[in-house]
Amino acid sequence: MNARLESMIASAKDAWTAAQNNGRVKINVTVDTSSIAQGADATLGALREAVRANNLAADVQVTGSWGFCWMEPCVAVRSAAGTRTVLYANVTEDRVPEFLQRVVVDGGDMPELALGVVEGNPTAEIPLLADHQFMKGQVRRLMANLGTTDPGNVDHYFAHDGYAGFGMALEMDAEAIIKEMLDSGLGGRGGGGFPTGRKWDFLRNATADPRYIICNADEGDPGAWVNRILMEGDPHLIIEGMLIAALAAHSTEGYIYLRYEYPLAIERMQHAVDQAYERGLLGKDILGTGKDFDLFVFKGAGSYVCGEETGLINSIDSYRGMPRIKPPFPAQAGLWNKPTNVNNVESYANAPLIIRNGAQWWSSVSDQKEKGTKMFTFSGQVNWPGCIEIPFGPKVRDVLDQYAGGMRDGRKCKGFQPGGPLSGMLNAADLDLTLTLDPYREKGMFLGSGGIVFFDETACIVDMCNFFLAFCEDESCGRCTTCHGGTQRAVEVIRRIQNGGGRETDVNIFEQLVTTLVWSNCLHGQFAPTAIKTSLKAFRDEWMEHIVDKRCRAGVCPGLIRYVVRSQGDPDLPKAEDICPTRAIYQDDGQYAVDDALCIRCGACKEVAPNGMEVVDAIVQVVPAGAAAAG
Amino acid sequence: MAAAPSLQELRELVAEFQPNRGHVLPALHKVQEKYGYVSREAIEVIARQLNTTPALIFGSVSFYADIRTHPPAETEIAWCSGPACRLLGGDRIREAMQHTLELPLGGSSEDHRYGIHLGQCNGTCSEAPQVWVNGRVIGKLTVADAILLAREIKEGSRE
Repeated sequence: MNARLESMIASAKDAWTAAQNNGRVKINVTVDTSSIAQGADATLGALREAVRANNLAADVQVTGSWGFCWMEPCVAVRSAAGTRTVLYANVTEDRVPEFLQRVVVDGGDMPELALGVVEGNPTAEIPLLADHQFMKGQVRRLMANLGTTDPGNVDHYFAHDGYAGFGMALEMDAEAIIKEMLDSGLGGRGGGGFPTGRKWDFLRNATADPRYIICNADEGDPGAWVNRILMEGDPHLIIEGMLIAALAAHSTEGYIYLRYEYPLAIERMQHAVDQAYERGLLGKDILGTGKDFDLFVFKGAGSYVCGEETGLINSIDSYRGMPRIKPPFPAQAGLWNKPTNVNNVESYANAPLIIRNGAQWWSSVSDQKEKGTKMFTFSGQVNWPGCIEIPFGPKVRDVLDQYAGGMRDGRKCKGFQPGGPLSGMLNAADLDLTLTLDPYREKGMFLGSGGIVFFDETACIVDMCNFFLAFCEDESCGRCTTCHGGTQRAVEVIRRIQNGGGRETDVNIFEQLVTTLVWSNCLHGQFAPTAIKTSLKAFRDEWMEHIVDKRCRAGVCPGLIRYVVRSQGDPDLPKAEDICPTRAIYQDDGQYAVDDALCIRCGACKEVAPNGMEVVDAIVQVVPAGAAAAG
Repeated sequence: MAAAPSLQELRELVAEFQPNRGHVLPALHKVQEKYGYVSREAIEVIARQLNTTPALIFGSVSFYADIRTHPPAETEIAWCSGPACRLLGGDRIREAMQHTLELPLGGSSEDHRYGIHLGQCNGTCSEAPQVWVNGRVIGKLTVADAILLAREIKEGSRE
């Protein structure tokens, strides 16, 4: 291996081992966007201050996410002797004094906050973390350093074989790197599943220079945050993957296009890039090898279609981020019309693992056509909105029960949506589908980049379609009439249905939208109507109830429900009157009443007076069929 | 709020940027980070610096949701539009807050004290439904919580 790299890795390993054996307690605090939202920055500050003030023999360190995103702040504590590590959850700022006293000063455990024993022996009260329902069956390769290393410290990454894959790739020729990538079977993790090695080979075979390597970190699917977890937790893994791609495709310049909604990921990626420059891993004459590679973190500005590779390229290129018409493909004419390769964060992050351990090792974890592990995040009406890494293949039902902790309040799962707003909605019968690519392709949708949203019976399918289509309308770049006009039309019709104006002919309008949006230039338009298309199949009864019977079974659609006073004697009614934002609730002769014209169906009154108020079906005058055919 | 910048200040701020190097968004971000928004004057200065037209710069300004052409309000509420929030009452929270504040989404009060705009999901879905007040998460909201929060912000009784 390159001598300079080898010595950096060796000295980082020595330093890591020395630090682990310095006789001080290690307190690792998960600090990422999810945990900060739950007060991790305050916990970190309180821990540091208390350790300093009490002169405790402990080192407090920032680390990435364990995936327990719903019970942050998570704190792992390793004993002074280094023989035992316990992971704790919900270590909020107010719990810090007691936590430190019991866990550090007294050297004991705090079982009521413990998730499990990471290393060492379990006790009667604290089982092994590996036996935790959420951890069992997970294979953490991409997430291996999360919870252990400081994402801001390149030496921590070195100490865990960081950049060793790049070191090995430096001694391989480009064909050999690509062969290893192809042998691994790694498919693009953004959702397409196209073999990453083949994409790199396209760029390698390009005839023009310079050629560009781009990381698509514009994770725009609402409900997906797998890329954020990686970038905030182990940013050097992505840089190493891009360096390997650069070697394989003879590229000298790269960009990480990162959405502005992730300021902490931007900060940590930029810091990691700066460190890589300082250590001679980026820039001119990398590690004395004569190879050059410059890498820039490029901050997005709020546009979903910039997650489409040519929209992203146009955005860096200083144009509006409108997807281009293909061909030419980016490998022929991409950034500044030069050959360009765009991969997802998770795709690049797998490359170091493949080169370090070999394609055979990497692919052996999965018995499916899709090789390797995949990260997923769960959200919606589930108990555990967290992040996991598993081999492809389990059934959605099992993943929901085991890793997402089932549905909230013991409710039943009504359906789910994989793959973001462009994918579709499936009903509970499809919970038997596996987490692989084909079942969704067969339904004209896709598994996507890793976010899965689950919903229960309180969700209204028509309202969810309103949400997805309004998102698609808002984010349409405007190039294709089918898309910007079609999504606008879809939203109009859905809202009319929600307001009690549904017509049976609306199904024909949807049919026309579904069949014409596919002509749009890019995936955004082509897949914008998928939510309508799939839900008209999976939830047809609910759609027809809205359209024909003017009824919303979930009690969500504003024109199909009314709020009324149920019980005049309810003592909470004054609170309802007070909270109403439109003064729709009033008293007349001592009797409470709702002015339906003012009511905006926000439901605040029912929250504060659950026994006094109720939701009933609105009485909507049904227009006879055929009376109004046109939209 | 910073006073309106002079042309000289703006020119110095963007002097590092060059034509044909993908510097439009970095320049817009730099101006917005300093002044909170991108003014007409700034668009013209950036265009000159990058040897292009204000029309092209404005094309980007109008394309991206994050680039503002007016100063933000002192207290900006970003309402999370994500699916987890939506499923847990997010859209009713939006309706109620907008009516309480008497503002459209993307609007701010005449005195620029408070405003509300659409925010995109950042994956802190455990806190759903949520809003961000000047970037700080206020989560697990009921509609009633959101109305009280909006009233406090409107009345100025909240820091």
